[in-house]
Amino acid sequence: MKTILFPHSYKKWSSIIFYTTLIFGSYIWFSETTFEFFNMKVFSVLGDDTILRTETTENIIGNHALQWIDNNVLDELLTLIIVISGLMASFSREPIEDELIAKLRMDSLTTSLYINYGILLLATLFVYELTYFHVMVVQLFLIILVFNLIFKYKLHQHYKD
Amino acid sequence: MKNNIKMYRAKYDVTQEDLSKKLGVSRQTINSIENNKYFPSLELGLQMAQIFECKVDDLFSLD
Repeated sequence: MKTILFPHSYKKWSSIIFYTTLIFGSYIWFSETTFEFFNMKVFSVLGDDTILRTETTENIIGNHALQWIDNNVLDELLTLIIVISGLMASFSREPIEDELIAKLRMDSLTTSLYINYGILLLATLFVYELTYFHVMVVQLFLIILVFNLIFKYKLHQHYKD
Repeated sequence: MKNNIKMYRAKYDVTQEDLSKKLGVSRQTINSIENNKYFPSLELGLQMAQIFECKVDDLFSLD
């Protein structure tokens, strides 16, 4: 059976990086800490219109699309590290990668999707404005985290047998 | 679904570990199959039948 997975040797170090960066990233996000070292010019492909509103008028005065803009790239870096290491930790081969392991992985992924879309549906109904955006950001990482935890638990149960 | 793998293992004097190595799966997977916690693919079933020189029907049957 052909599966697209990372080598087993990736699993340990990618798990360490994933959980460490996730904790560090959460701290940075909740404490709103910034480091000026990470301020730099980045190329923005898409951007919202900047709108100047008065009581009677509404004019688009600029757009950040397709141009170099100033940005603190710490959150982008952390996102890249968390997502890539999370995917590696979740989709690395087991020492003996057989069809039961593939089934456990598929079951874990399905459960994680159900949980996350359940949360998203609840958030759509009960969470509004900028807080909804925050829920979406959390979900970006939660889907990998929940999958990883469920899969680890299922593997633990499997190897315990 | 029920299976006779344990019986065939005893008949051929094959341990779970030996069988798992021949099939390229883990010992825990063989244990899960024997205890009806997991139903193997047709491919794995056919490989088992080949090892035990029998038909798949002899190894697996519906309740």
